[in-house]
Amino acid sequence: MKFTFAPEARPLDGYTIKRAVHRGGFGEVYYALSDAGKEVALKLLNNNLDIELRGVRQCLNLKHPNLVTIFDIKQDTDNDYWVVMEFVSGRGLYEVLQDYPSGMPLEEVLFWLDGITAGLSFLHDRGIVHRDLKPANVFQDPGGVKIGDIGLSKYISESRRSAQTQSVGTVYYMAPEVAKGRYGREVDVYAMGIMLYEMLTGKVPFDGQTAAEILMKHLTAEPDLSRLPKEIRPVLSAALEKDPARRTSSSEELQRQFRNVVAAADMTAPVPLAKATPVPAELRSERVRSMESETIVEIDTESVQAGPAGVAVLVGFWNAIPTPLQWVVGGAVAWLILESGMWRSVAVGGMVGGVAYLGYQLLSIFVGEPFSASSGPYTKASTPPPAPARRQKKASPTAKAAVPTKPMSARPVTRNTRDRVYTPATLREIGKTHRATDVSTSISVSLAASGLVTAAVFFTTNLLEDSAQAVYFAAVTMLAAWALIIPSKIWEGRSGDSFTRRLCLGSLGLGVGFLAAVLPEYLLISHDELFHGSHSSGRVLIGRVAVSDGSQFPTVACFMIFFAALFSARRWWWQIDSFRKARFRVSSALFTLVIGIIITGMLKDFSFPEALGATWALAISAVVQLSAGWTQVEDRRLSPAPSPTTDPVPPRSVNPQVPLAKAEQASFH
Amino acid sequence: MNSGTLQLDSQHRQNRWCCDTCVPERETALKGNAVAISPSRKFMLWIDGVGAWQLCVGESFVVGAPSFEEKSADIALLADISRKHASIERNGEEWRLTAHQSTAVSGRTVSQDTVLCSGDEIQLAERVRLGFRIPSILSTSAIINFESDHRPSHSVDGIILLADHCLLGPRKDHHVCCTQWSDVVVLFAGDGMLRCRSKVALSVNGQVANDSIELKHGCVVTGEELRFRVEQME
Repeated sequence: MKFTFAPEARPLDGYTIKRAVHRGGFGEVYYALSDAGKEVALKLLNNNLDIELRGVRQCLNLKHPNLVTIFDIKQDTDNDYWVVMEFVSGRGLYEVLQDYPSGMPLEEVLFWLDGITAGLSFLHDRGIVHRDLKPANVFQDPGGVKIGDIGLSKYISESRRSAQTQSVGTVYYMAPEVAKGRYGREVDVYAMGIMLYEMLTGKVPFDGQTAAEILMKHLTAEPDLSRLPKEIRPVLSAALEKDPARRTSSSEELQRQFRNVVAAADMTAPVPLAKATPVPAELRSERVRSMESETIVEIDTESVQAGPAGVAVLVGFWNAIPTPLQWVVGGAVAWLILESGMWRSVAVGGMVGGVAYLGYQLLSIFVGEPFSASSGPYTKASTPPPAPARRQKKASPTAKAAVPTKPMSARPVTRNTRDRVYTPATLREIGKTHRATDVSTSISVSLAASGLVTAAVFFTTNLLEDSAQAVYFAAVTMLAAWALIIPSKIWEGRSGDSFTRRLCLGSLGLGVGFLAAVLPEYLLISHDELFHGSHSSGRVLIGRVAVSDGSQFPTVACFMIFFAALFSARRWWWQIDSFRKARFRVSSALFTLVIGIIITGMLKDFSFPEALGATWALAISAVVQLSAGWTQVEDRRLSPAPSPTTDPVPPRSVNPQVPLAKAEQASFH
Repeated sequence: MNSGTLQLDSQHRQNRWCCDTCVPERETALKGNAVAISPSRKFMLWIDGVGAWQLCVGESFVVGAPSFEEKSADIALLADISRKHASIERNGEEWRLTAHQSTAVSGRTVSQDTVLCSGDEIQLAERVRLGFRIPSILSTSAIINFESDHRPSHSVDGIILLADHCLLGPRKDHHVCCTQWSDVVVLFAGDGMLRCRSKVALSVNGQVANDSIELKHGCVVTGEELRFRVEQME
C-alpha cells in the first residue's frame, strides 16, 4: 500500500508524520506527533472535490467522551484539507466483530451499545445526524467507546456521489429512506439496529453480492430475526422498521428496550448468544484481510442496476434452481433455439429489447440519472441508485402492512460469512509468474475445451457435415478463445475503461474473422454447405469494402464484422476473470448465444450463415469459460499470499487471547 | 526557572516521543537490591499501514515504569509499577522472567525466576497485564503485547524482543503481521548493528540496497508495497 506522505514529513506546520495508518474510502489517515509530542491522527481529505466543510465546522467544538474529538481543520501549502483529530489507539468494532463470527458475549454487546448510545444521543441532542454510522467508525479506547467521522459524513456522501463509487461496507448499515435522500436521526437508529443485530449474531441482516442487491434488501426484505433469542426479536424488529416514522424513536429508546428485555429474560442463562467464542488468531487473519479490502473492493452495480422487479424475480428463480438443472434447462433452451426456427423471433425480440434498453440508457443521460452501461469494470456505480427509490413506492404497502411479509428475494444469499464480495471488478495484485501461468494454462486447456465443445456441436446438431468441418469449427473457436483469454487475463485485477477494452477485443475480432474466412481455403475444406447463407440482398459496399458480393456466401469483411461485433458486444473479461461467479455459468453462455443470434440476424442480409454464427457465439463462450483459470470463492485473495506448503506452520502460537496485530487500530475509516 | 531546566525542556522538545528514554545511560548497578541495567538497545519501527513497534536488541530487558532521573526501563510502561519491576532474560533459546516486585506468570505468583513459554500472561502489580508469545518456530524472538490498558507514553502496538531475527510479513506467525505485504522482511542483529534483508527489492533512503542492509537511526526502508522507518531510541 502506497501512501502519499513519508515518515517525518511535515505537511502541516507543527505536526510530524510518523507513519501512515490507513487509507479510507476518501482519504489517507496518518499518525503524527505534534512538536510537543501529542499524538494525533491526521486525515487528508481528497481534494479535487468541491469541499463542503460546513458540516465539519459545526461539529468542531463538540466534546463528548464517546466521540472522537476533532481538534482542527487545516489547509496545507497545496491547499489540501487536513482534519486533525484525536488518535484512538484501541481496536475498531469491525475488528472485534471478526473475533466473534457467531455473535459477541452479551456483556460486550452491552458495552458497545452503551457507548454508541451515549455518543449518538449527544449528537442527536445537538441536532446532528451522523449518517455514516458503521463498525468501521466505532472504536474501543481506554476511555471507552468512541464514534469517529462526526460531521464528515456529509462530506463523505458527497464525495462518494461525485466519484460514483460505493463501497460495500457502507451499504450494510444504510437505512431504506436514504435511497430517497432522507437523512433524519432515524437513519442512525437504523444503523445502530443493524450493528446490534451484527453484534448479537455475527452477521449483518442484509447481505449480498453487490451494493444494489443489499440496498434492495434494505428496502424490501424483512430481517431474519430467527437467529436471535425470541425476547430480543421485537426490539430489533422495531429498530429495523422500514418506515422511519414507525421505527424506534431514538437510540436511547433502543438501548432501554434492549436492556429491559435482557434484564427480564435473564440472558445470563445459556441462550444462543452464549456460544460465542473468540476465533483463534490464525483463523482471523483471512477475515482481517477481507475486511481491509473493504476500502478497495468497489462493486459494480451495473449488472443488477435498476432492473424491473420482474427481472429480479426471474434472476432469483434462476439462481434458486440447482446447478445440474440449470445445465439441463440451459442446454435445452440452446438446442431449441438452434434447432427450431425460433431464432428469428429471438433475434427480433432481442433487437427490440436492445433498442429499448438503449433508449432507456439515453433517456437516463438526459434525465440526469447515473449512466453506467459503459462504465469501467470496476465500479462506476450510482449512490444510491434511483431504481430502488422507485421500487420503494411499490414496496411501501407491504412495508406498512402490520404482518411481516416474506423477503422478496427468492433465496437468502448463500454466503453466510461476511466476507467481502470479490468480483472481476475487484482490483488486485497478480504476480507476473502467476499471470503467465494462468494464461498458459488457460490456453492449453482451451485446446481440449474447444475439442469437447465441437464434439458436442457435431453430435447434437447437423451443422457440421464431416470431420474436416469440425476441425475447422474447433480451430476457429479456439483461436477466438485465445484472442479473448490473453488480453482478458492481462487486464485481470487491473482497472480499465470498458470502452477501450471492448474496442481492443473488437479489433482482435477483426483478425479472428479474417482468419475464419480464409482458413477453409488453406485447409481445403469444402465449406459451401457450412457457409451457405439463407438470404442475399445483392452487392453491398461500405466504402470500397464489399460486405456482400451478391452471392449466397459471406465475404471476408462479413466474417470480420461478425467477430468484431461479437467480441465487443460482451464484457468477455467478466467471463474469463478468475473471480467470476462460477467456473461455468449457463446463463452467461446463453446470453452470449442470444447476442450471437442478434448479430447474425443483423448480418443475415449479407448472407452470413445464421446457424454457424450463433453456434460459434455459444461455443466460444463455453470454451472461454471452461478453460479460463478460476479461483474458488474461498481462496480469493487481493494480493498473492505465500503458498502455505513452503512455510511451516508454528505449533507454538498457542495463546488465542493475544490480540491481532493492530493494523488498522486507529483507522477512522 | 534556571537555565538547567530550560535546557532540559528544550531537550524534551527535541526528543519528543522518546523524552522518557533520552536521559544518558547510567554507569552500573544501583545500590542494595537494585538490578543492573542491561546494555540493550531500543529501536522504534514505524510501519506504514501496520503500526508502531518497539524493537529491543540484547540479552536482558527490564520492565518498569519510566524514570526521569536515570535510564528508563527497556519496556517502560505508564503504570503504577516499580521502575524496575521485573526483567526478562534470554539464555540461548530459553526466556526467563525474574521478578523484582510482585509479579505473576499465567496466574502463578513468581518469587524468584521462572521460564516463560509462548502464551504466558505476565501480571505486574495488581493491574498490568502483558502477553508473551513466540510467534515463529523459526526464531526465538518474542513478542510482548499489552493486554491491559497500560502502555508506554506513546502508542506502541507491541514490543519485539529480538533474539536471532524477527520476521515482518503477511502471516500470523510472523512477529509483526503485515497483512498487505507479499513477502517477509527479516530484521537481525549482525556485527553489532541492526540489519535487514528480504527477497523483495528494498531501498534505503531512496537508494537501492543490496541483500543485507544496515539500519541506522532515521533510515526509511521502502519496498514496492511497504515502507517503514527505523529510529534508535537511545
